[in-house]
Amino acid sequence: MTDFVIQTSWLAPLYGLIGALLTLPWSIGIIRRTGPRPAAYFNLLMTLLAFIHGSLAFQKIWGKDPQHLVWHWLQAADLDLTLTLDISPLSLGALEVVAGISLLAQLYALGYMEKDWAMARFFGLMGFFEAALGGIAISDSLILSYGLLEILTLSTYLLVGFWYAQPLVVTAARDAFLTKRVGDIILLMGVVGLSSYGAGLDFSSLETWAESTPIPPLTAALLGLALIAGPTGKCAQFPLNLWLDEAMEGPNPAGILRNSIVVAAGAYVLIKLEPVFTLSPISADALILIGSITAIGSSLMAIAQIDIKRTLSHSTSAYLGLVFVAVGLGQVDIALLLLFAHTTAKALLFMSIGSIILNTSNQNITEMGGLWSKMPVTSTSFVIGSAGLISLLPLGFFWTLQRWLNGTWNVPLWLLGLLLFVNLFSALNLTRVFRLVFLGSPQPKTRRVPEANWPIIVPMASLAIITLLAPSVPIEWSFWLSPNAPLSNYDAFPVQWGMPLLMAASLIGCIIGLSRKPQRMWVRPTQKYWRFLQDLLAYDFYIERLYQVTVVAAVSLSSKMTAWFDRYVVDGLVNLIGLVTIFSGNTLKYNASGKSQFYLLTILMGLAVIFWLLLRGQWSLILDYWSFLAN
Amino acid sequence: MLSALILIPVLGAILLNLLPKDWAASRFRQIALVLSSMILLWTIVLAVQFDPNNVQMQFSEFLPWLPTLGLDYALGLDGLSLPLLFLNSFLTGVAIFSSNRDIQRPRFYYGLIFLLNAGVAGAFLAQNLLLFFLFYEVEIVPLYFLIAIWGGGRRGYAAMKFLIYTAISGFLVLASFLGLVWFSEATTFDYEPLRQQALPVELQFILLGMLLVGLFIKIPIFPFHTWLPDAHVEASTPVSILLAGVLLKLGTYGLLRFGVGLYLDAWVTFAPWLAFLAAVSALYGALSAIAQKDMKKVVAYSSIAHMAYVLLAAAAATPLSLIAAMLQMISHGLISALLFLLVGVVYKKTGTRDVMVLRGLLNPERGLPIIGSLTILGVMASSGIPGMVGFVAEFMVFRGSLPIYPLPTLLCMVGTGLTAVYFLLMVNRVFFGRLTEQLSNLPRVQWGDRIPALVLTLFIIIFGLQPGWLVRWSETQTTALIVEPSLRDTLEVPASVSQLPLDP
Amino acid sequence: MVSLEQKPRKHHPLEVYIQRLEQGDALLKDTPDHVLEVVGILKSYGVVLDAYSRNLIYIAEHQFLNPFPFFKYFNGEVSLKRLLQHWGHDRINYEYAEYCMKSMFWHGGGGLDEYLDTPEFARAAEKAIQGKWKGNLFMLTLHKLFPDFLPEQVRVMAYYSGLGQFWRVMSDLFIALSDRYDNGEIQTIPQVVDHILQGLVAAANKPITYQVQLRGKTYDILPKSAGLTFLMDTAVPYVEAIFFRGAPFMGTISYNAQAYQIPDEQGAFTYGALFADPLPIGGSGIPPTLLMQDMRHYLPDYLHQFYQNTIRGEDDLRVQICQTFQKSMFCVTTAALKGLAPYPFTTDNPEEKAANRQFLKPWMDRFIESRLETANQ
Repeated sequence: MTDFVIQTSWLAPLYGLIGALLTLPWSIGIIRRTGPRPAAYFNLLMTLLAFIHGSLAFQKIWGKDPQHLVWHWLQAADLDLTLTLDISPLSLGALEVVAGISLLAQLYALGYMEKDWAMARFFGLMGFFEAALGGIAISDSLILSYGLLEILTLSTYLLVGFWYAQPLVVTAARDAFLTKRVGDIILLMGVVGLSSYGAGLDFSSLETWAESTPIPPLTAALLGLALIAGPTGKCAQFPLNLWLDEAMEGPNPAGILRNSIVVAAGAYVLIKLEPVFTLSPISADALILIGSITAIGSSLMAIAQIDIKRTLSHSTSAYLGLVFVAVGLGQVDIALLLLFAHTTAKALLFMSIGSIILNTSNQNITEMGGLWSKMPVTSTSFVIGSAGLISLLPLGFFWTLQRWLNGTWNVPLWLLGLLLFVNLFSALNLTRVFRLVFLGSPQPKTRRVPEANWPIIVPMASLAIITLLAPSVPIEWSFWLSPNAPLSNYDAFPVQWGMPLLMAASLIGCIIGLSRKPQRMWVRPTQKYWRFLQDLLAYDFYIERLYQVTVVAAVSLSSKMTAWFDRYVVDGLVNLIGLVTIFSGNTLKYNASGKSQFYLLTILMGLAVIFWLLLRGQWSLILDYWSFLAN
Repeated sequence: MLSALILIPVLGAILLNLLPKDWAASRFRQIALVLSSMILLWTIVLAVQFDPNNVQMQFSEFLPWLPTLGLDYALGLDGLSLPLLFLNSFLTGVAIFSSNRDIQRPRFYYGLIFLLNAGVAGAFLAQNLLLFFLFYEVEIVPLYFLIAIWGGGRRGYAAMKFLIYTAISGFLVLASFLGLVWFSEATTFDYEPLRQQALPVELQFILLGMLLVGLFIKIPIFPFHTWLPDAHVEASTPVSILLAGVLLKLGTYGLLRFGVGLYLDAWVTFAPWLAFLAAVSALYGALSAIAQKDMKKVVAYSSIAHMAYVLLAAAAATPLSLIAAMLQMISHGLISALLFLLVGVVYKKTGTRDVMVLRGLLNPERGLPIIGSLTILGVMASSGIPGMVGFVAEFMVFRGSLPIYPLPTLLCMVGTGLTAVYFLLMVNRVFFGRLTEQLSNLPRVQWGDRIPALVLTLFIIIFGLQPGWLVRWSETQTTALIVEPSLRDTLEVPASVSQLPLDP
Repeated sequence: MVSLEQKPRKHHPLEVYIQRLEQGDALLKDTPDHVLEVVGILKSYGVVLDAYSRNLIYIAEHQFLNPFPFFKYFNGEVSLKRLLQHWGHDRINYEYAEYCMKSMFWHGGGGLDEYLDTPEFARAAEKAIQGKWKGNLFMLTLHKLFPDFLPEQVRVMAYYSGLGQFWRVMSDLFIALSDRYDNGEIQTIPQVVDHILQGLVAAANKPITYQVQLRGKTYDILPKSAGLTFLMDTAVPYVEAIFFRGAPFMGTISYNAQAYQIPDEQGAFTYGALFADPLPIGGSGIPPTLLMQDMRHYLPDYLHQFYQNTIRGEDDLRVQICQTFQKSMFCVTTAALKGLAPYPFTTDNPEEKAANRQFLKPWMDRFIESRLETANQ
């Protein structure tokens, strides 16, 4: 029985896929007389099944050695692509998180999307999404993970594009796909390159391969950078970070997944690729650089947002930046803990704001206020989620950072600075949002707001409890993944002063956030430089504008030039030759159909003449042959 | 056995034209469907009996025809031809199914399609260079008429352009063949014996050069491509399906069969340039596609870009890349047929293909939601999203070529990225957003419009999940192409590539 | 001279419609097709409203403050058969009724909204809350910690009941209209408008009250003494909230705060039934699809036949229903305007006419952005 449950745990991601397929009769309109809810129920059921199966397998594998399920997918010439699944406590744990959050998000969607007749399509996409995420969790093969990351790109496109008739969705879905695709293509280059160097493309054998294969430094650096590109896009890291902001146009239940486990999937693959980054210091440095820039930049962007979803989505990038830094330092365990702590807290925050959006028909925080006492579960969840993200109260992030700074890891001073910065601004941002939305007097749009319905409340409350229990993970975690033996350096400044400083930073952030005068729509900073600064941050440092004038302009210009060249030079030349040498100008362009048949005849005749010329002298033989046959 | 694949369509074409003229068009369509199912069935029968592990030609037929000319009626089937033959039979059925039920002059129309089918099948089966050339030429005529009679507004121009280009292509191919036989002083145009030729390399350069230019026109490769967008735009949907799905494959088939097969020495010298040309063609096609406003032109330019991958793989000439080349042909055949089919439905229902006019077609009540969803799937397949056959083919192309020609391969991968750009621009403009007023009263979409697209999609997904089912047919043969005993030392392809220059 | 002064200096953009009203016509052109469409759709709307209103009133009375109202759409008749039908989504989409209720609640306006902020209401609500949760320590603590949570829920319940009572009247009105049409009594659009007007006038002073029974005790949430009446306290706020303002559909409008697509004042909202675009119906993020879906099951045969004869036939049924529905709503609006106008529109007295024009101007200004022109095409 034990073996059976473990051996079949690869089924868990497939349940989501089956659920997705079951929605088809409704989503493509075969069933039109009755509503699409059965599709949603099928999906919920399948996700529940995945969750139960995953839980059983997780229990059974606990404390056992990892197992590998190997499937030879494609063998051709010297290429042997195997899709390997890694059944270990870690991967099944990740699968559990995926199935759990998916289950909650789908239940949530039942309430959030209750008025949406395209519910079947939505749940189908959620099932598809869940299947890909679950697959990434247990995949031990780079090619499989790459494929699933691409599927994620596709389903992000489809989910963001769910409300396809909404004008901003049209561009948001496109940009999300293309931005991620840039990362994916570069990642594909890395995967193909790695495969060409004879690497088996299994994560678990990468380490041995990296140690045993001498690779020129430049190649190693390029390989590393290429492999970083994919997760950079997935985790919304600079310079591929803007899609997450735009993707907020999509439905909120998908946003819950996107800001928690989808971004985490990219980082998860990055963590598994870590051995490759040890080959070259450049790729490790690049990770640290990308992560730090994103963490600082996104923290700043977040505090200037007035859209409730975007205040949180930028902070997602910032936290994933910390994960990048941790991977760059080779501190893989910490990276995983950061991911876990962020996942639960951020998912909870997104559930909370979804309830607000649904009941106020509004996303503008400057038009909100006074919701605290009307929405007990929503506001409590927001508080718990926020507390889980900053290291003030002993929740997820507090304990994670405590483990990071407790002396077993090498934490340079700049990293402590970075952590302080992110904490300060995160605390500032979250309290700012809290104050605007929940405190103060009700605004016209928040005058009549009831608490959400039970399909929204139940998952939210459950996740709030999970977030409260989350600290047990970083506390219990034994560091078995990280390649280098942990240090024991208890005298360093970050170790001695790190936690108090972090708590102080969070506290200062909260105080600033609470004491600043709430910004209302009609109150814009009057001083010029404040206004400039706010716009600069609110519009994401104008990075989008930058892309417009660089990458987008370059592609569009070169495509226009190519098209022009094609039309007037290549084709023009052809027409010219055609016109001048063979026929006169107008005949080719405006020929009557009778004439063209004449040309056809000419060509066939010409060919016949060539034949004849080549074969003359042999005609008598041919004639003899035919006459011989005739006799 | 193989002759049946030529005889059924030819006899079918004759039969159709003997039937009474005043029958309804739909009746001819039904007869044509029955005939094409017979062809497909026969292809399946052959495939079932085919032994993929056999290096030799199978089901060979040999009939001396004009021995003095060296022209023999020699047919044979191997791993290179079988998948393409299948594609031909299958897409002919799809094309007939998606033909207009009330088409004008139905007897002639379906007759021409069957002649086309016969010509292409003959070319894939021919084991005699001259016979190949004959079929290669024969197939031009029906296609010319199909474009010139049932085409769009500028059909005369497009058909003429197609005719001139392909005639020149045929001429160059013939010249190359004649030169080969002439200089190697062979007595016959039969394929196998000619593979043993040992001409001086300089001479091979000239002959291969001619052959390549001829085939490049057909594939088409930049800068010989401009006939293709015009032909596609003017051709009706079924003809576009056949043109993109099958006809272009004659060119790439020629590359493998004759370019690599006959002139291996010269090929190796040319290969770096060919890889470079492939990259240029891929990027050129992709960039041109971005600027197009006609949906069909977008797909046509994307065809140019994707066919270039076959050239890249052929240039690399590793065992893996050659299988990849085959796979890419099939993949492109299925995907481009699907896309042309869907664009055809959009055109049929809306009367336009202009991306600046079309908008919001995903609308579930008044738009074309299923056609739209399938188009999204199709463009995703084309841009190489895993789970569909496009990804497997492209991955194998890149994996097979990267160690040999890193830079061109990387450029081609950029081209893959650009595929997503132009197709997404197109799809988002055409299907997303609010349905415009002028499109708010479109006619109904019938299941008949959707079924062929659904079948193609199914194949694209099945082969994407189980590429092994495609690879097994060709692997033996593609490997045999480059490891003929006499050439083995010069062309041994290293399994581990560490000594190859991956560093720029 | 007098007549010159009377003429407005600048014609209103919708002058045609004003004149039409003054001639005794409706905002919707009087054609046989329009009569068929409007009466047919109001018949099916009447059937659907009947179900909606029964359910709203059931929820208000029997699911009062129930935190897990799993069976709120069952109207108290839980059986396996109904459960299976419910799971198969083979049912009326009551979600739409709640959506309208919430929209009305959120926009407020009228006496009902005002009454909910009075101390009398607060006292009544507190009593009912205590009555409901007597002995439940958890809920009472929660009530202490979040003092606005449960009163807000009671307000919602009051709106459930209020909208239910409003729709009760409207449903009967529409069904009666259909019966009169079947008897041949109704042949023109003005007759339709007149029927609705008479119905509204007859019900205008019907009191709106709401009592709930908890453990055998009756709690008066909206007492008769509050003086809430049908026309001014439910019908008018309903027209304002649902016909005019509405809420932006997520499927067509971006909620992104930085995109500034949604006005910051609720009064400036133009997402209501008279403004909404019927074309995206059936797509994602368009709540009225639920209503159209419900109505499709109750179309009279003559109307169904009428739809079958269009180019897409059955395929775009819901869009066609929505287009017709919009036409019918302009008839209802005409009736409401007639009822609210100071004098009959057909008056010949210049002073009365001027007063009418004064009254019409703000309404007509709002119609400029509406689908009035398209509905008349």
